[in-house]
Amino acid sequence: MRPPVKPDLRVHIGGLELRNPILVASGIIGYGKEYENLVDLEAIGGIVTKTVTLRPRAGNPPPRVVETAAGMLNSIGIENPGLAGYLAEKVPILRELPCARIVSVEGEDVGEFEELVRGVDGSGVADAIEVNISCPNVGPHGLRYSTDAGMAREVMTAIRPLTKLPLIAKLTPNVTRIAEIAEACADCGADAVSLVNTFVGMAVDSRTRKPILGTVLGGLSGPAIKPLALAKAWETVQAVDIPVVGMGGIAKPADALEFLLVGCTAVEVGTAMFADPGLPEACVTGIADYLRAMGERSVGGMIGAMEVPAGRGSIRAGMAQRHAARVARSKGGIS
Amino acid sequence: MNQVACKIVENRELTKGNFLLTLRVPRQFTKPQPGQFVHLRLSTEGEPLLRRPYSLEGYFERRGIRAVRIYYSVVGRGSRVLANHPKAMELDLIGPLGVGFTPSPKKTAILVAGGRGVAPLLFLSRRLTEKKKPYVFLFGARSKSELYGVREVKGGRLHLATDDGSIGYHGSVLDLLEREWTENGYTPEKAEIFTCGPHGLLHAIADFARARGIRCEASLEGPMACAVGACRGCPIPLRAGNGEGRYPAMCVEGPVFDATAVDWERLP
Repeated sequence: MRPPVKPDLRVHIGGLELRNPILVASGIIGYGKEYENLVDLEAIGGIVTKTVTLRPRAGNPPPRVVETAAGMLNSIGIENPGLAGYLAEKVPILRELPCARIVSVEGEDVGEFEELVRGVDGSGVADAIEVNISCPNVGPHGLRYSTDAGMAREVMTAIRPLTKLPLIAKLTPNVTRIAEIAEACADCGADAVSLVNTFVGMAVDSRTRKPILGTVLGGLSGPAIKPLALAKAWETVQAVDIPVVGMGGIAKPADALEFLLVGCTAVEVGTAMFADPGLPEACVTGIADYLRAMGERSVGGMIGAMEVPAGRGSIRAGMAQRHAARVARSKGGIS
Repeated sequence: MNQVACKIVENRELTKGNFLLTLRVPRQFTKPQPGQFVHLRLSTEGEPLLRRPYSLEGYFERRGIRAVRIYYSVVGRGSRVLANHPKAMELDLIGPLGVGFTPSPKKTAILVAGGRGVAPLLFLSRRLTEKKKPYVFLFGARSKSELYGVREVKGGRLHLATDDGSIGYHGSVLDLLEREWTENGYTPEKAEIFTCGPHGLLHAIADFARARGIRCEASLEGPMACAVGACRGCPIPLRAGNGEGRYPAMCVEGPVFDATAVDWERLP
């Protein structure tokens, strides 16, 4: 008997080739060192760093996390050392990591986004930049850029000429039509969009009659949001031709498969990894096993391979056709 | 720090709602220090979703077998699930984590425990006994039935306090501390405090220590997500002059902190 062929798991985001489609989401793994005994970075595609802001941020007052039904609310507030701290403390760590390093940045205005992109580009260790225009926990500017297509356009247009690195715009699901924001980013030079960031949520302690989070509102993540996230991913892949990086509630390898089947080129694993640091690696194995079982030679064969019965599933006119075209493209190889 | 599989040796209800859990740990588990904790995955089915941090009550090595002990109360979703786990079940553990107590070489240690906060202090008292260091153990709880571990305190003087007067001093362990400090003529050069318990008690002990310039370490508890310093979900607020503009993470810079530096007013 011939040994089973090892499927080709490589995917591309702009000019960046990932050895497989599994990434760790921003805010989960710090800058790669925190989990060094627990995660085999050589086994996964890459990590997205904790978001870097221009100035250091102490983060929000406690409590910052609370577990809810099948999920977790957080209000961290992007605690990070700022661009200078990133350059001094985090770049040497990132340089040594044996996987793709996607550096997440978030500015309070367009000028800050420009400075951050220049700084991260110049740091020489980023393989791509995730443009976080969707944090719900940093005050009024947090959600502005990703709930308003015009403002998303403004940021992407300003930073696009500043780097040759792939730019991945990270989007919030807290909008009526996420595809509209994704289209704006794609039009303005984004190489990919990643989604979803957390859903705005809250929890109240009925005994003390106080909100549980220090900031009242926070962002919901975890298995509770997976069906919501998947629907946003499905809406987006039908609307844009750039790769979509899917995330939201992935807690087992089968969840990652779902995001790929609806058309995501890669996926990010987040909250569930706190319980199971081996989850990203298990997802890589799960994809390879699935491809073998389905007789596919490469992961490109399953990206967007969901088959929607005729007359069902189209969110708006024309989407089904775009989806069919995407499937045809993905079957032709890795885009 | 490692992620290891541990078998439950015993998970016994000592008094109503209060359990002693003994876990056999494998060889690659690093010897823990008093005050350190472990992050336990209580379910692989997603309920609860997150791990739970538990302070260690002790670490034992006998005839090549290593075990950690955890003293816990059923207070929420995680501990309810844990209380139902049977003997011989395997649990996924990450640890030991965090920074433990750091006794000074030449000072008398005054250990002040409130309720189930006794756990890491029992661990510390055993370590002090091994090293033949003098210590005093002050232990307060609501009533006699909640005074777990009094027989474990061997090498040091033990004083008890209960809110209902069922045993020992009728009142707060804080009164015991004040009396101990005054009657024995301690000075900040000769003695220091290690404490764990409800945050209200720790706040009062911290105020006592700060007013007299006494070195005081407190072990804190609270929710955590990653427990390795990555998610920044367990911030500890500090008082002015102790590094404002920064929230140390309870999981990696604690759970033991200089109690006089913590801003107890802002700590949930």
